[in-house]
Amino acid sequence: MTRLLSSALTLTKRLFKIIFSFFYSIGEIVEFFLKCVKYFITEKFYVNIFLKQFLKIGFNSLPVVGLTSIFTGMVLALQSYTGFSRFSAESAIPNVVVLSITRELAPVLAGLMVAGRSGAAIAAEIGTMKVTEQIDALKTLSTNPFNYLIIPRILAGIISLPLLVIVGDIIGVMGGYLICVNLLNFNPTVYLQNTYNFVEFIDVFSGLVKASVFGFLITFMGCYHGFNAKGGAQGVGQSTTYSVVSSSILILLMNYIITSFFFRL
Amino acid sequence: MRKKKIIVKDIYKSFKEKVVLNKLNLDVYESESLSIIGESGSGKSILTRCIVGLLKYDNGSISFGNLNNINNLNDKEKMDYMSKFGILFQNSALLDSLNIKENLKFASKQDSFNKILDEVGLPNSILKKYPSELSVGMQKRVGLARAILKKPEVLILDEPTTGLDPIIARQINSLIKNLVKKSKITTITVTHDMESVYEFADYVAFLKKGIIEWYGKARKINKSRNSSVINFIKGIN
Ligand SMILES: Nc1ncnc2c1ncn2[C@@H]1O[C@H](COP(=O)(O)OP(=O)(O)O)[C@@H](O)[C@H]1O
Ligand SMILES: [Mg+2]
Repeated sequence: MTRLLSSALTLTKRLFKIIFSFFYSIGEIVEFFLKCVKYFITEKFYVNIFLKQFLKIGFNSLPVVGLTSIFTGMVLALQSYTGFSRFSAESAIPNVVVLSITRELAPVLAGLMVAGRSGAAIAAEIGTMKVTEQIDALKTLSTNPFNYLIIPRILAGIISLPLLVIVGDIIGVMGGYLICVNLLNFNPTVYLQNTYNFVEFIDVFSGLVKASVFGFLITFMGCYHGFNAKGGAQGVGQSTTYSVVSSSILILLMNYIITSFFFRL
Repeated sequence: MRKKKIIVKDIYKSFKEKVVLNKLNLDVYESESLSIIGESGSGKSILTRCIVGLLKYDNGSISFGNLNNINNLNDKEKMDYMSKFGILFQNSALLDSLNIKENLKFASKQDSFNKILDEVGLPNSILKKYPSELSVGMQKRVGLARAILKKPEVLILDEPTTGLDPIIARQINSLIKNLVKKSKITTITVTHDMESVYEFADYVAFLKKGIIEWYGKARKINKSRNSSVINFIKGIN
């Protein structure tokens, strides 16, 4: 009986510990964010580092985003053909393709790809700087690491992701076009006309809003986990994993929230 | 007449259950070269990190000049405070994405680094290289150049010779000796290399179990009767 009681007690203790550490890390994340905002407003902005990161996150991700978009567009066309041909609604394929790509697939897939690519790289780079005391060195050299390392990366993420997604939108639609025209005997002009007439501003816009939010989540999580890396190479590896996992989950969560917001509009 | 520059009073620092500094007291005097020695893991780096303001201590106080307790400084004041120190970090901590010139620019906006490179015994050609292209000894020299370039009030050297072969270590020691003795800068050197102590320390503090167990003139450390100090010196040499 006492044994049961004591094991129940340790279990509750452990549960409380988990809950506590959960809220504790939320608090830390919020504090980290507020520091970013504060230093962004009050201190120096490093333009050249922003531009470098913009190239690194945005331009260098073009191939990956392009490839995922084109294949997604192609698959989308094939799959919707399978479904729609069963009730002779093939003509709706361009509509489905453009809608799914712009509202959903281009931003989410680009987000996940960039999270794996740039988010991980950011966490690894900043994590290494942390455990090798480079960040401490910056502080003692009158350089605020938030302004020098973190803010330029986050801003680059917020701005470059929507631009990537615009490219992804176009390439994705082209993927669907390629399949429909070459494989399913659609009329090219009609396909493009359909797409153009059907798509609305809000479709593209909501996708770009998502992209911006994802860009923030990816770079923010990369910076946060890198900045809090501890204890050598292993800690850096762990921070990379945390960064990719947390930003991927947050992307999917925020995707739902933003979708339901635009759903009402 | 010795003048106190930094006063460490009853400093307490722990990580979870592990107590690293346990009510430690230490005075650092102006224009003197102090060596902090002690076994690996005894808390030497933690102590210096507390002194320069990179780490908050749990209890006690550190005073610097007319600043009474540096734990209470706000972010901005902390930045200003840290800029009083020139630090050679344990692994040099050069920014590895930047070349040597860009690294040195963090310490001083000047365009020509000929003079400082000459002082630390490096050729000019090094400016365009990246830290990873340099040997560990050269990285330490660059780290040293970066630390003294900003003309700090206090120079902190964290294990300047650890990881170097004996010949390079001796070169670095005599380099530091020349710099320290010439400029009369207040210096705190963390080390477990007794050669460094003999070469350029005026005073020595021996750190063990979270406190300064022995403090005295460097010249007299060999005559110390403290058994831990004796064992430490024997263990190394
Ligand atoms: N962030 C940390 N978390 C937990 N323990 C730490 C941390 N940093 C240092 N320690 C512990 O504090 C002790 C002192 O470390 P340190 O000051 O680096 O030793 P050293 O005298 O070799 O410079 C070590 O035992 C180390 O394990
Ligand atoms: Mg150390």
